[in-house]
Amino acid sequence: MQRRSGRSDGVRKVASGHSGVGVSQVPVAEGKSVQQTVELLARRLEALGADKQGTFGVDCETYHTAAALGTQGQTGKLMYVMHNSEYPLSCFALFENGPCLVADANFDTLMVKLKGFFQNAKANKIESRGTRYQYCDFLVKLGTVTMGPSARGISVEVEYCPCVIANDCWNLLMEFMQSFMGSHAPGIPSVFSTKHDSAYSPGDTMVQYMELFNKIRKQQQVPVAGIR
Amino acid sequence: MADGALNPGVNLEAFAQAIAAIQALRSSVTRVFDCLKDGMRNKETLEGREKGFVAAFQESLHSVSRDLGELERLSNLVGKPSENHPLHNSGLLSLDPVQDKTPLYSQLLQAYKWSNKLQYHAGLASGLLNQQSLKRSANQMGVSAKRRPKAQPTTLVLPPQYVDDVISRIDRMFPEMSIQLSRPNGTSAMLLVTLGKVLKVIVVMRSLFIDRTIVKGYNENVYTEDGKLDIWSKSNYQVFQKVTDHATTALLHYQLPQMPDVVVRSFMTWLRSYIKLFQAPCQRCGKFLQDGLPPTWRDFRTLEAFHDTCRQ
Ligand SMILES: [Zn+2]
Repeated sequence: MQRRSGRSDGVRKVASGHSGVGVSQVPVAEGKSVQQTVELLARRLEALGADKQGTFGVDCETYHTAAALGTQGQTGKLMYVMHNSEYPLSCFALFENGPCLVADANFDTLMVKLKGFFQNAKANKIESRGTRYQYCDFLVKLGTVTMGPSARGISVEVEYCPCVIANDCWNLLMEFMQSFMGSHAPGIPSVFSTKHDSAYSPGDTMVQYMELFNKIRKQQQVPVAGIR
Repeated sequence: MADGALNPGVNLEAFAQAIAAIQALRSSVTRVFDCLKDGMRNKETLEGREKGFVAAFQESLHSVSRDLGELERLSNLVGKPSENHPLHNSGLLSLDPVQDKTPLYSQLLQAYKWSNKLQYHAGLASGLLNQQSLKRSANQMGVSAKRRPKAQPTTLVLPPQYVDDVISRIDRMFPEMSIQLSRPNGTSAMLLVTLGKVLKVIVVMRSLFIDRTIVKGYNENVYTEDGKLDIWSKSNYQVFQKVTDHATTALLHYQLPQMPDVVVRSFMTWLRSYIKLFQAPCQRCGKFLQDGLPPTWRDFRTLEAFHDTCRQ
């Protein structure tokens, strides 16, 4: 993983190569809670021979461009500030369909200073936390997506570490995901189609999480308990 | 043990005497050398010293010749060992009464069986290998060792310029493959082969022969802390460890001592087929993964992709 100095020297792009990752959402099994479905997936992974390797977390805060900024066309544009425990010294700032910037972790303090221009929509904070698994050269992160107090969904991130070109290993990644997710394995993520032959970067993973979080936010809240 | 039952051809008493005679012979030989080592003892006159030395030397030589004669006489009495036993004299080990403590005989039989089997299998292997067109020793297998052509030494002393030319020609042959040649340890070349954005290979050469090869991921470090190519540590990824094993097998397969440049080119052509390491499904089972690994084997002739367990 990339190492970063504590000194802030502005926003920069991550240059180091990274491996192909697919992030997808798994629907909650019928008649089951989010937690039960996560446990079911964990059992399938362990049956496959995957080993537990600690925990992970990805969080995402939403910022509105403040009205004070003025320009009509810009209103309503959202910025997402995200963190990933795999890159503890980095902070990711993303616009929908827009650029993804990778900054030092103290980017958060900068955002506080910019609160005249960007307002934090605190209620929209969403995160995914769970367990990391290793199977051969695959890294699987099985997470529960929560918004406020309620569990809203399940995220599965699969990384094939030896491969730096996401498009090269997509078929292989799909076959692996199907082996424990069955028919819920995802279609090809949009970041893959735009990447062509360039190397995958951590920002591409964050874009996939952002898209997944947006999808979950728009969904009706899952009735976790008292379904019958 | 009755010696008659043991072996009618051997006279045990003469045997014991012969052993004593050997001991005597050894000690008389030792005396000869002692005498030579001590040199001339202190005597009144120089003449006396010489005389004493020559006499002592003569006497000790006489006793050597006497002991040798005695040993020769006894060896005739001992008689020839019987040739009946299939293992000759080693067959006598079976008569050792303390089998439990010294299971020499059963071990010997076991070793004999193994060496027989080894010879048989080596014969079969030699027959099979001779059918291959590219092999390590084209004219050696199955032919007697005396006729072995001495082809290797000449190709081991190729000028570095020639090696450079061969490598740079191969480098130009394959656009998706880049080869960096360096000579950190004198004349032997080391290559860093980068194949697309898939993998990197460290190749250690001896003249135009490939000695060792290590395959690593495109995003893995191939240098040691002091900036030299790291020829010892293996890849962190299982898939590249497997490909390293297969590449080592390929080195043994592609061999033609008279044309080392053809060998290097064949090996590189084979290596290039890994450009689709993560994209090619197995040609036998049609799947991408087996036990978490993609098809890591490439057929030496067709270059088709197979899982390690799916190849013939
Ligand atoms: Zn197969």
